[in-house]
Amino acid sequence: MKTYEVFLKRPGKDPFTHVGALEAPDDELALSFARDCYARRSEGEQMWVVARSELLVADSVELEMADRSHRHNDGALLRDLRKAGDSPAS
Amino acid sequence: MRSWDSMDDFEAFLDDGGLVEPGDAMPDTYREAVFRFIELHANSEYMGGLTERDWIAKAPGLANKLTALAKTQDEIGHAHLLYMVAADMGIKTRDEMTVDLLAGRTTFHNVFHYRAYTWGDQIAIAYLVDAAALASQQAVFKNCSYGPYKRILRRIIAEEGFHMRNGEELLLKMAKGTSQQHDLMQEGIDRWWWPSVQLFGPDTRPDDVLLRWHIKSERNEVLRDRFVQKMVPQLTAAGFTIPDPDLRQDPDTGRWISGKIDWDALKAAIAGRGPDSERRLRDARNAWDGAAWVRTALDEAAAVPA
Repeated sequence: MKTYEVFLKRPGKDPFTHVGALEAPDDELALSFARDCYARRSEGEQMWVVARSELLVADSVELEMADRSHRHNDGALLRDLRKAGDSPAS
Repeated sequence: MRSWDSMDDFEAFLDDGGLVEPGDAMPDTYREAVFRFIELHANSEYMGGLTERDWIAKAPGLANKLTALAKTQDEIGHAHLLYMVAADMGIKTRDEMTVDLLAGRTTFHNVFHYRAYTWGDQIAIAYLVDAAALASQQAVFKNCSYGPYKRILRRIIAEEGFHMRNGEELLLKMAKGTSQQHDLMQEGIDRWWWPSVQLFGPDTRPDDVLLRWHIKSERNEVLRDRFVQKMVPQLTAAGFTIPDPDLRQDPDTGRWISGKIDWDALKAAIAGRGPDSERRLRDARNAWDGAAWVRTALDEAAAVPA
């Protein structure tokens, strides 16, 4: 048995979403089981089924720990500047 | 992967509404408790699905057979999803869980230790048992701290809602039917009322870790009481009686108060000494053994290079 991860794309603007996992002996049956388990009521218009062993998993520490503050602007300084009448927009 | 320095840190994380994910270094006690809870839920869905399956052939009329078919697929489907979530906790494989269930080493809910004799029983199960199970699951979903379980519960709850509405629809049809239909339904209610009330379990103990770790969000007695307040007026309005001679209404608050609940019956059922425990487990073993050739064929097919 192999473990597979299942992704569904609902109709409309939503992207593919991970919905769960399943066990199956091969790819063909994985697709069949995925339909039976996760799409009995037309929950999606597209489905991806991927063997878990084929997934490339990023290091979560690298994703979470790095300082990304230079890529965000929470607007706090701008708000202060505007209040003080120094903003070029005022 | 996250980790916590102490149980206090971990509990503070849970109290803040944190979601634990499979890769996290969760405390072993948490992993063990959540795993056991999900395994019990998975076992119950599986045993429920096997019972539901009997009614595909027996349900009266094509529409009811189709519903029984859909419900059977739902219950077995829920078991599939839950066994995957449980297996990913790394305590037992899926096969080990199946073997333990069939050997009677693990448990499933009390309501699946009783026998459904008639169509009235089957409707009482859809109406009472599914409502009780749904109420418990919604209370788990609400604050559930284990991410994969919470996500799967959303789906399970939506489908159980379909079962409960179907149960209510059939109950009301029986209520408006012939006197034989009415009597058949009343007998079903008489057999399934107490097991459904007992499904919520005895009052939650103060040291219940499932409550502290935000798996349960509500005490058993609160859910049980809510069930009684909802069901008594509905069943009475439909012209049925409740098989509880001591059931009374508080004159001041109007709330319904149950008579004494037989907790020994609950304990016996869960321990595998219920009225139908033996036959149910035998049925499950036969289903598993009877499908052995399918598993062998699948394994052999998978071993052949494409």
